[in-house]
Amino acid sequence: MRVFTVLIILLITMLIQSTVLGFIRVGGVQPDLVLLIVILNAFLRGSKEGAFLGFLAGLCQDVLSGNYIGFNALAKMGSGYLVGLAESKLFKDNIFVLFGVTFLASVLCQIIYYLLLIILGVMVTPFWALLRIILPVAFYNTLLVPIFFKLFYRSRIRGLFSEKEM
Amino acid sequence: MRRLVSARNLVFLLILVGFTVFAMHITAPGRSNLTPIESMLKDTLAPLQKGILHLGTSARGWIVFPFKMAFYSRENKQLKEEVDKLKGQVRQIKEYELENERLRKLLDYENDNKLQGAAVVASIIARDPGNWFGTFTVSRGLADSVKVDCTVTSPAGLVGRVIAVSNHTAEVLLVTDPRSGVGCILQGSRTPGILEGVASGSGTLNLIHLPVAQDIKKGEVVITSGVGSIFPKDIPVGEVESFYKESSGLFKTAVIKPYVDFNRLEEVIILTGKVQFPEKLPAEGDNP
Repeated sequence: MRVFTVLIILLITMLIQSTVLGFIRVGGVQPDLVLLIVILNAFLRGSKEGAFLGFLAGLCQDVLSGNYIGFNALAKMGSGYLVGLAESKLFKDNIFVLFGVTFLASVLCQIIYYLLLIILGVMVTPFWALLRIILPVAFYNTLLVPIFFKLFYRSRIRGLFSEKEM
Repeated sequence: MRRLVSARNLVFLLILVGFTVFAMHITAPGRSNLTPIESMLKDTLAPLQKGILHLGTSARGWIVFPFKMAFYSRENKQLKEEVDKLKGQVRQIKEYELENERLRKLLDYENDNKLQGAAVVASIIARDPGNWFGTFTVSRGLADSVKVDCTVTSPAGLVGRVIAVSNHTAEVLLVTDPRSGVGCILQGSRTPGILEGVASGSGTLNLIHLPVAQDIKKGEVVITSGVGSIFPKDIPVGEVESFYKESSGLFKTAVIKPYVDFNRLEEVIILTGKVQFPEKLPAEGDNP
């Protein structure tokens, strides 16, 4: 049941991400909601599930956007896995912890993107990439954490992400 | 200290990563067609995305309307003045066009950069969900005779080209995408250069490989050159914002501000007709 909920949330997020999210671009960048869901899920459930959902979400995004298949999948899998490692080590009820985790995970995900771009032979100047994309996107993602925090906090006890079987 | 990954998982991970990187290479833009799964998914979700985007656009319109009222009246006055000015210019241009036609006839000069064929108007239904690439999904596809490498423009100027097509959608690679390269010239000095995207988020373009001795002026117009590329000639692209010497010291790079506002774009024009390139070389002896 929980799996279905997460998948439906992901699908809706993906549709929003590819359509109306462009309206809230600041300086040309938009936040990555799908990554945010992946991060939160990994932080709740640990690295194995974090990596799995990251891969799945990224793959869906790739197939939908008609770009390189596997581009988002790998980057989000890596972020999901590493955030999942912090699951048992960090205190979950503090929003600032979540801020930090989101920021770092976003930077990490973008760095993986950048490395994949190099593998694919797409040249983006590192300076540009860091200043105009990597850091702004990480900031933007972090700014959106409070919106999800309440949902996330509540759902640990009961609700969307809880273990309860229907 | 617990190990990060067990040996078995590491092997599995390496295989997965290898396979995915392989998949990425195969599915790079420029491939002839999308996989059936992608086509199906894109075609299925297109109406949904179109609906969401339409709702979002109209909602945004209603929300910002009251705030824009005061601004609109002032803008309206300015626009009216500008329209009058432009109307005069259009008449002037019409005159030049007729003159051009007459002179062409006199010279018996073949006009080889007219687009032979049609264009379709397509609305944007989805944007690239990430921040690295500049791509749009538009609402026309194979069914409307859109093919890969068709040029995509808007009334303001060049937008990009089609890189993938399904039955009812097409993927457009914008000129701001780092993977895009377009042969261009500076309109005033006719200096050729290559127009490259920097990163789609930045919204600026670089015109690279301009001769270092070339005098470049700010505000100079950049148009497509039509040489050795899939883009037809003379489509306006943008204006020179600034320029600097490349690190090699042999060339200059100009930073171009595009005419098209890619974040506000809603409809595009896809040129589906065949672009005719001049096939015959000028005969010897008739150099100007």
